[in-house]
Amino acid sequence: MNPMTDLGLRFVRRPGPGGRAANLAALGATAIVALLVSFLIAGSLGLTHRSDRIGWRNTDDGEPKTAVGAVNEVHDMVAGEPVNRVDLAINNPKRDGELPPPPGLSHAPKPGEVFVSPELAKRWSEDLRTRYKLEQPTGIISDAGLSSPDELIVIRGVAKDSPGVAQSDHPRYLDTWRGNAMDSRMAMLLALVAFGIALVLFPLLSLVGQAAGVAAKRREHRLAALRLAGATRRQVLWLSAVEQAVLGFLGAIAGLIGYVVLSPLIARIPLGGGRWYLHDLTPSWWVTLIVLVAVPVLSVISALIGLGRVSITPLGVVRGQTRKSTSALRLVLLVIGPIMLAVLGTGGAVLPLVIGIGIAALAVRVVGPWAVQVIGKFLARTAKGPVVLLAGRRLADDPKGAFRPVAALVLSGFVTGFLALFMPYGLTQDGKDVSFQLYTNQGQTAVVAEDARKRLSEAGFKGEVTTGDQSVSISVSTTERERLRTVLYDVVPSQVPLTDAERDKQDAGVFMDMRLGVALLLGLVFVTGAASTAAGAVGTALDQAAPAKALRRSGVPLQVIERSARLAAVVPVVAVGLPVVGFGALCGLALSGGQVVTRGSSGVILLLGQVVVGVVLVAVAGAAGAPVLRKASAG
Amino acid sequence: MSFQRPHTTQPSPHAPQNQSQSQPFHPQHPQAQPFPGHPQQPNPQGIPHQGTVLTGRGLVKYYGDVVGLAGVDVTVQAGEALAVMGPSGNGKTTLLHVLAGILTPDQGEVWLGGERVDQLGDAARTVLRRRRLGFVFQDNQLLAELPADENVALPLMVDGVSRREAIGRARNMLAQVGLSAEVSRRPGELSGGQAQRVAIARALVGEPQAVFADEPTGALDAATGAQVIDLLVGAATHRGAAVVVVTHDDAVAARCHRVVRIVDGRVSER
Ligand SMILES: Nc1ncnc2c1ncn2[C@@H]1O[C@H](COP(=O)(O)OP(=O)(O)O)[C@@H](O)[C@H]1O
Ligand SMILES: [Mg+2]
Repeated sequence: MNPMTDLGLRFVRRPGPGGRAANLAALGATAIVALLVSFLIAGSLGLTHRSDRIGWRNTDDGEPKTAVGAVNEVHDMVAGEPVNRVDLAINNPKRDGELPPPPGLSHAPKPGEVFVSPELAKRWSEDLRTRYKLEQPTGIISDAGLSSPDELIVIRGVAKDSPGVAQSDHPRYLDTWRGNAMDSRMAMLLALVAFGIALVLFPLLSLVGQAAGVAAKRREHRLAALRLAGATRRQVLWLSAVEQAVLGFLGAIAGLIGYVVLSPLIARIPLGGGRWYLHDLTPSWWVTLIVLVAVPVLSVISALIGLGRVSITPLGVVRGQTRKSTSALRLVLLVIGPIMLAVLGTGGAVLPLVIGIGIAALAVRVVGPWAVQVIGKFLARTAKGPVVLLAGRRLADDPKGAFRPVAALVLSGFVTGFLALFMPYGLTQDGKDVSFQLYTNQGQTAVVAEDARKRLSEAGFKGEVTTGDQSVSISVSTTERERLRTVLYDVVPSQVPLTDAERDKQDAGVFMDMRLGVALLLGLVFVTGAASTAAGAVGTALDQAAPAKALRRSGVPLQVIERSARLAAVVPVVAVGLPVVGFGALCGLALSGGQVVTRGSSGVILLLGQVVVGVVLVAVAGAAGAPVLRKASAG
Repeated sequence: MSFQRPHTTQPSPHAPQNQSQSQPFHPQHPQAQPFPGHPQQPNPQGIPHQGTVLTGRGLVKYYGDVVGLAGVDVTVQAGEALAVMGPSGNGKTTLLHVLAGILTPDQGEVWLGGERVDQLGDAARTVLRRRRLGFVFQDNQLLAELPADENVALPLMVDGVSRREAIGRARNMLAQVGLSAEVSRRPGELSGGQAQRVAIARALVGEPQAVFADEPTGALDAATGAQVIDLLVGAATHRGAAVVVVTHDDAVAARCHRVVRIVDGRVSER
């Protein structure tokens, strides 16, 4: 083996005093990056897997003549739970009995046949028997045709000219069961993922850099010693690359294992209509490969770039005078990266949103460090005690470094500040639950009402039936609501009697997806921010180890330095984050014309929760340097 | 146990004592004049002489099985600079740390100005070091984020001195070590010799009774090292402080008043 390779491996095993803590910090940060990257990739692939299986249900890409089927989706209700009913008319244009069935079905459903998901099969009842005119379901839909094991769905075969799928009713026509249309819910979630990637892509990349930097700092004096012993610069760099590759690889493995261990828990998150199939979240071999290769390669590159900035001479590590400025390349990547992801990942549907976030991210990245510097100078100038003085000087000295860990946090604060006061989707769920509302064509209300009254009296219900312009309401003051629904089933063809509140409930899943998605997004941002803050704190601790040692010996308690480190970690979130949150809220207000659009306090609670959790997390993570500093400055 | 016999090796500077401290200090050159009043010993009752600032008696220190100190006696007078020399790994740093209350001895006593300090608890020794002692180390002892004056003022501020007063005293001290023009520079903008002078200013700004320096010129070239050591010895003894300098450089030792050699954790009689 190359002696430098050998030495590099030896250094991983025996990192020297304080080096173990630094290596652990680097490894932990790398593992978190690997975990989050695995989560983002495997999660978005999982969404596409789910969408692949159910996308046909809302595909509309065929011609009536050539389509394999016509689809009409109907909201149904079973025992108070929303059910998705898919009426499917098989077209089979070639009339070749060999038509493959839709995913998850044993055969293409003939008119009158009903396939149900396992969860719905459990709820099979007298009402469903009556509604679908079947003693037992024709078949159970297998996993291959379901988005989630929790899904409540009915796929019902209907005749080609029946209501809802007849050409005059404009059903969806599809050319193949494996079309490329996305399920709309999965598409929305994918948009959220793209949003998340736009938020944390750069924080994650810089976290890799920080992790590499932390390990490298510990290494510098040793590298100088090696140069003194006659090693060339190349050899020293090679040794660092070996060391960092091992650390990066171990971190990637740890992160992947962490993801695999956590994935059963992740699979329980009821996103997109229910829990996940674990296999949707399991990283494929090539995702594994990407993580195992990309993470170590990125960390080696970061470490070498970091070492490239200093010249390692036999007399020690001489730091370059120029502070690295944000390179144009990074700025371009910052804009191009998320756009590419949006285009590739979602076919450009969320492009404007992602571009918007990209620009906001850019603004925060430019303004944030500047604000941190101003605040740092202010603190340093007005400080009365040593803690504030030291924290202020540190912020003013390296505002970029201080702001980097909390950039994503601050940016997400802008988004939640915005959403807290402005959620344009009419998240109102205030439909009344007193009567079924049936919608009819003009002039048909009387016929429908008459039919309804007849059915009610035959079944022994006393319900009030009133007609509106194009609607019929039937009061539901009964404890037997499902039976009432069954009685009134198909009184308007292909329309299930639902109250307004029940219609809201059909949409509630989408709003829950949004809330959960936003919560997950914030979690992602928090974890990234915390890991980055911790890595930064460890790096600072290592930087300050020597002077801290001298100060401790001179009788300055370590707590002074520790407290200033914590303060320096929290100030950027509080002093920049809070105004940014306020600015986000202002933008929300401006867009909504000065009124609070969200009903209730959910947005404000979300915002407050985020601010509190964010500040606490950063304060805790900022203390991560303390044990390292204590060890490295001991004696 | 035996009291060591200090020997003056080279011509030593006379240390003027108790001069007005507000006057700027001007580094003095060594003069061919023996230091008066040597050797000085603590009296048999254990109370150091009036001029004696620092006394170590029968100091023993183990690191596990490794013997750091094997019974060292040493005294330093007010205004006197003592050089501690000897081969590497023989206990010089250990002696300095024990005398300065960074380490506690396993046996023996340390007296500072008539007060026994080796039995104090960790917190009390921390305060003692901050208020009554000063330290200069080899390198990397200044906080990179702070300008020179704030680095010097920091220990005062930790001690509760108001910022205005602390900075004022720090600048005054920096002027006395010849750095009036550099008060706002940060360590990265100072030369090695200048950084050591800032460290000296920080060590002296609290008016310590004793100043400890471990290889203070180890990272400097010979000429700069000589200037720095003259400044340290001159400025400290000028204020009546005792100085202990660990060094392996004869030129540095020559600028102190007295030299002890530590070999195998003992004072060498050679
Ligand atoms: N923290 C420590 N742990 C263990 N052994 C130590 C420690 N510090 C010093 N020693 C040992 O004590 C002896 C004296 O060390 P030191 O006082 O540093 O010598 P010097 O300063 O003269 O080079 C050496 O053998 C050294 O290895
Ligand atoms: Mg030593």
